[in-house]
Amino acid sequence: MEILTERRGPVMVISIVGSVDGMTAPTLTGSFRAQVTGGYIHIVGDFARVEYTSSAGLRALLETVKETRQQGGDLRLAGVRPEVLRVLELSGFTHILKLFPDIESAVASFSA
Amino acid sequence: MRREFERAALSASLQAIRDFIEDSCRQAGVERATAHGLVLAVDEACANIVEHGYAGREPGPIGIAFDAEAGKIVVAITDRGRAFDPKDAPAPDLQSGWRERRVGGLGWHLVRQFVDEIHYDPDARNGNRLTLVKEIGRGKE
Repeated sequence: MEILTERRGPVMVISIVGSVDGMTAPTLTGSFRAQVTGGYIHIVGDFARVEYTSSAGLRALLETVKETRQQGGDLRLAGVRPEVLRVLELSGFTHILKLFPDIESAVASFSA
Repeated sequence: MRREFERAALSASLQAIRDFIEDSCRQAGVERATAHGLVLAVDEACANIVEHGYAGREPGPIGIAFDAEAGKIVVAITDRGRAFDPKDAPAPDLQSGWRERRVGGLGWHLVRQFVDEIHYDPDARNGNRLTLVKEIGRGKE
């Protein structure tokens, strides 16, 4: 798994490439947390290149949703692929998370 | 068709375990969505062994046997760690709002979504055996 970060005004876009599992999820959690600690509470998780996530990835997402929303921000996902979406749905995460088709619409949602 | 595989119970082994299940499914002609579910179920079970089974101990082996039988795939996962019967996993929280939603506790829930049968046979001497059965061509995807 590789993580790329890109600032878009007040929004931080975190693009994840590869699989999120018990091995890589702690790195993802750490990356999200570093943004929140650095004052970026409006985060877009770009999932367009994530082919796989296990429940370990869900843990990273929920922790970050809680941390950002408690400070008035949010973690929103962009470009989630069908197989990952199915895991989110089966875990009841689609009731909690806001999903967008691409990075642009996810970033724009923060200024709406 | 039967294929066997063994790795140390480390989180660094999870990718190789998923690759093994994916390759085995491909060889057995299992369709993509079903294979993805089986890969996830095996990954979750193995992650639990890594995280809890061998917690506080030297990580031992995880053995995997993949059997393609008539109308079903049977995956047996063996370990020599602490026994844990999936029946004892707490019910998942799928409904509450983000503030109340518990972090974690979804692994076994996901396993149950993607396989048709789960059998557990704890054995302190010879190792624990978790058997996942996935029916092919019908039932849950």
